[in-house]
Amino acid sequence: MALISLLAVSAINFWLVEMLPGDAAARILGRNATPEALALLREQLNLHLSAPERYLQWLSKLMSGDFGISLVADRPVLDYIASRVANTALLSGFALLLYIPISISLGVITAINRGRMADHVISGIVLIFMCLPEFVIGILLISIFAIKLSWLPPLALIGQAKSFGDLLQLIALPTITLVAAMTAYAVRMMRESLIEVLDSSYVLMARLKGLPTWRVLLFHALPNALGPAINITALNVAWMIGGVVVVEAVFEFPGIGRLMVDSIGHKDVPVILAISMIMTGAYIVTNLIADVLVILLNPKLR
Amino acid sequence: MAVSETSIGTWRAGLGRATRGLSASGRIGAAIILVYVAVALTGSLWAPYGAAAILTGSPFEGGSLKHLFGTDNLGRDVFSRVVLGTRSVLTMTFAATFLALAVGGLIGIVLGYLRNWVDELGMRIIDILISIPTLVLALLIISAIGNSLWLVVLTVAFLFAPRVARVARAATLNVATNDYVAAALARGESTLSICLREILPNIMGVMLVEFAIRCAFAIIFIGSLGFLGFGAPPPTPEWGLMINEARANATNSLWPVLAPAAVMALLVIAINLFADGLSRMIDHPGYRTTGAK
Amino acid sequence: MTGSQHPVAQLKNLSVDYQGGDGWTRAVDDVSLDIASGEALGLAGESGSGKTTVAYSLMGERRGASRIAGGQVLFRGRDVFQLPRHELLALRGRSIGFVPQNPMASLTPSMRIGSQIGEMLTFHAVATPQGVAARVRELLEQVGIPRPAEAARRYPHELSGGQQQRVAIAIALACRPDLVILDEPTTGLDVTTQKRILELLAALKRETGVSMLYVSHDLASLSQICERVAVMQRGRLVEEADTAALFEQPRHDYTRRLIAAIPRIDTPPTNRIAPSSSVTGAGEPLLQVEDLAICYASRTLLGLGKYPPDSDSVKGVSFSVARGKTFALIGESGSGKSSIARAVAGLSRPRLGTIRFGGEPVAALAQRRPLQLRQKIQIIFQNPDSSLNPRKTVRSILARPLRMFGQLNAVEREARVVELLQAVRLDAAYADRRPHQLSGGERQRVAIARALAADPELIICDEILSALDVSVQASVLELLETLQRERGLTYLFISHDLAVVRWFAQEIGVLNRGAFCEIGDTETTLRAPSSPYTTQLLNAVPRIAANLPMVTPLERRL
Repeated sequence: MALISLLAVSAINFWLVEMLPGDAAARILGRNATPEALALLREQLNLHLSAPERYLQWLSKLMSGDFGISLVADRPVLDYIASRVANTALLSGFALLLYIPISISLGVITAINRGRMADHVISGIVLIFMCLPEFVIGILLISIFAIKLSWLPPLALIGQAKSFGDLLQLIALPTITLVAAMTAYAVRMMRESLIEVLDSSYVLMARLKGLPTWRVLLFHALPNALGPAINITALNVAWMIGGVVVVEAVFEFPGIGRLMVDSIGHKDVPVILAISMIMTGAYIVTNLIADVLVILLNPKLR
Repeated sequence: MAVSETSIGTWRAGLGRATRGLSASGRIGAAIILVYVAVALTGSLWAPYGAAAILTGSPFEGGSLKHLFGTDNLGRDVFSRVVLGTRSVLTMTFAATFLALAVGGLIGIVLGYLRNWVDELGMRIIDILISIPTLVLALLIISAIGNSLWLVVLTVAFLFAPRVARVARAATLNVATNDYVAAALARGESTLSICLREILPNIMGVMLVEFAIRCAFAIIFIGSLGFLGFGAPPPTPEWGLMINEARANATNSLWPVLAPAAVMALLVIAINLFADGLSRMIDHPGYRTTGAK
Repeated sequence: MTGSQHPVAQLKNLSVDYQGGDGWTRAVDDVSLDIASGEALGLAGESGSGKTTVAYSLMGERRGASRIAGGQVLFRGRDVFQLPRHELLALRGRSIGFVPQNPMASLTPSMRIGSQIGEMLTFHAVATPQGVAARVRELLEQVGIPRPAEAARRYPHELSGGQQQRVAIAIALACRPDLVILDEPTTGLDVTTQKRILELLAALKRETGVSMLYVSHDLASLSQICERVAVMQRGRLVEEADTAALFEQPRHDYTRRLIAAIPRIDTPPTNRIAPSSSVTGAGEPLLQVEDLAICYASRTLLGLGKYPPDSDSVKGVSFSVARGKTFALIGESGSGKSSIARAVAGLSRPRLGTIRFGGEPVAALAQRRPLQLRQKIQIIFQNPDSSLNPRKTVRSILARPLRMFGQLNAVEREARVVELLQAVRLDAAYADRRPHQLSGGERQRVAIARALAADPELIICDEILSALDVSVQASVLELLETLQRERGLTYLFISHDLAVVRWFAQEIGVLNRGAFCEIGDTETTLRAPSSPYTTQLLNAVPRIAANLPMVTPLERRL
């Protein structure tokens, strides 16, 4: 199933990129290219083949791990984007690590205190964060923490980090931005799902058994409320794959998001295709993991 | 005179009936949205300066009576640009969301009702479409075809429709098992008739909430596209674009950055409050539940 | 039963209010009750009587937005609502056990059975950590669950309804409480399972001497376990007496009505004209079903794949229904009776078999049948909450079949709507209401009116009484009989309740696991059943004996 998705996505991506206007050969060689040079390059780029043939060729190369050669950097694509992929993975990883415990605990707190002060305050703050686009959150954070307070550096040029501490400082703001954007939805979902579970007959039964509250929460309520939260997390990760583009733009973080935007600008076809395949692949893998987790949590599905 | 009085009376009664049961925050949200709509409709009549009018004052002025939100790097009045931008933002958002709801909603209902091989095939296709990260796909489409306003609308609608279809289908699954649907089937009604007559009115609530939520997403998404330079072309006063243009000079003045951001955020907050209030109202449609057993 | 002087639990002038809409409604009004040690008190009433609220308040639990408007709830002399939290927690489970109404929904789906019982023992410090497992096994055995060690490792959804309820009873008894509260514990269970659970409860009561509060709308089952019965109506306690006395000489009018409405399998109802068993014209039967086989298999990819005959839920069933008569399909859950009903109505396609109406075979799905045929066969469903479109008014619900099947103009339709409402004994004003404004019984009447609107010949009734209160059941049944007499309607009546159909249907077919084990004339079949399954069903129907021994010594059945 996942394979079919990947295949379909690769086809869609390829077709879209095909539509990017302009002649790649002419762009690379510039204005003074001779017709012979153009023809030669075109042949090298396989532009003389029809589109479906090119697609199949690209696909077969992909299978063997050959992503092609970047038109801009004139290096193998994999090489070129490797460090960028690692950077983005680092950023996403940190963000996920922070986001999971924060959203679960906030969700639990708001659900237990439903209708009371704590719920209103937290839900209110969460609501505001949910409504701010990531770039706004990012810019706000920069304005406050980097410019006004000078606690943290404004741009995340982590290539210049000299130590782990440095790295943390540089990555802090973009991570917080991502976390803030994702947590909002997860908290709401967690809250709704937990409230529904707390109102269920089996939680009532557990309470009537005279069990202490922590036991009811931890063992009877939470395992059954986490299902939707996991689904939301999968969706969040999917969003993050796209949202990371914006955050990287705001902070000038050297990751694949920014690379994607740049490559589209330069019409660097192989790189564009490679990055979108990686992004889609990551999304599909995340979904699979989420599905597995949901099945594990719900004994009825095993 | 008497006619207009009675018609105002009935309007108020109708509005009162429609919003009864809407929480306080829901009403605040609704009010704010109405204000934005009014600004969008009438803005060009009373905005102090034109959208492209440069050097109406010195660059990077702060807020003042003459320039409520200050001026940007080209001396343009930020307030006017924000006000005039409202129209394009709202138009694009409503158009895209409405399209997504209409197409996605219908597909979702039919799939959820049929629940046969058509449903399975349809869900696979929808899953595939959802698996492509939205921003990436949008960037590709727009850079491939061009920066026109309507392309952005169509792209957003195309990206949102599968998600709406999923929600509609889930809601339909809940409703379709009810016996009144079976009763209609036993009468021999056609599939389309059942979907529109029996199912749609009963998932209206969910769809309205989804409309509001999608609107909020759409605003953020279109803003993000504008921020990255893939939205409406400059010098359109689109909020995301304005923020991007102003970012480089944030150290000079924060007004050109904060004003559109705040305006955008406020609208999205209002929509969310309204959506929240709507969904609460739908869960308790205002009739008395005794709760006694 | 010798009890100690002091009652185990007492309600003293208890009043409870619920918040709803624009104010507080009184759900329990000045109720006083005593439960003596070792006695079983039955609390009877229909929906809205407040009996469930009373049950929960004994545990110090307030449901939803409610408040104690007056009076006290005492357990062993102490006010339950004044207890500090840790004492309340100790009270629950340790001193008072609770058996809920719907065991599937009340057992935590993600936790194993053994853990759910075990945590009672652990958290009330009743057993040592080493002794927990042994005690769990002991309890499971006591409630009659086979292979207890294995069962303890199962999850709730892997057990049957009856077994789930036994587990709930085990949980309630785990800490050897003084009082067990049971909230409609056998509703939703098959009648044979119900009998076994009742027997189990009686046996446990004898062995442990625990007091019970048994809340139910089913007076008949109450009479089998409880020494005393209290009857509630709309929040007030209307009568309280020893069981035998209550049934022999009910003093309050409501009690009398309630007892009269219980369908008796042994005696015919007095106020109804027994269906005439005279043959009304030999002629062809209206409905014929031949070799019907239905299969509910999970879908394979793209609907392909073959299903072995063993997986059929209905296996080669044949019967016929004469015009103007009622044929009852009796069976427990899973017997396939609803599947047959839906197939006849055209809602699902059978795997094999023919359905004939008026002699001619009909297409499987309603959409393929001609208009006149769809008009002549109508169906009424079980659940009044889901059979009417909540977004439509009663008028528009009734008008739809009129528009589809008739040639009336708007004015004539309106008149017909009023006619239909009157035919089902509803006031014409109901036309403007929406389903949520009607009670369960009223909604079923509207569903009947909707079926009548098409002017049918055959009406399929799919368990239409099961979700209704007993007194409402009686009036709906009487309405159906009148309509049949007046209009010559034919009914295919699906039910699990033998007592109801005993005096309503002329012919009866008993289904067991998808096949008829008995079919024929009602009188003869039930008086002298040939199949052991039918006998079992007959015996399981709770009866109210004229002179009831205090606690019938029932054999423990595993």
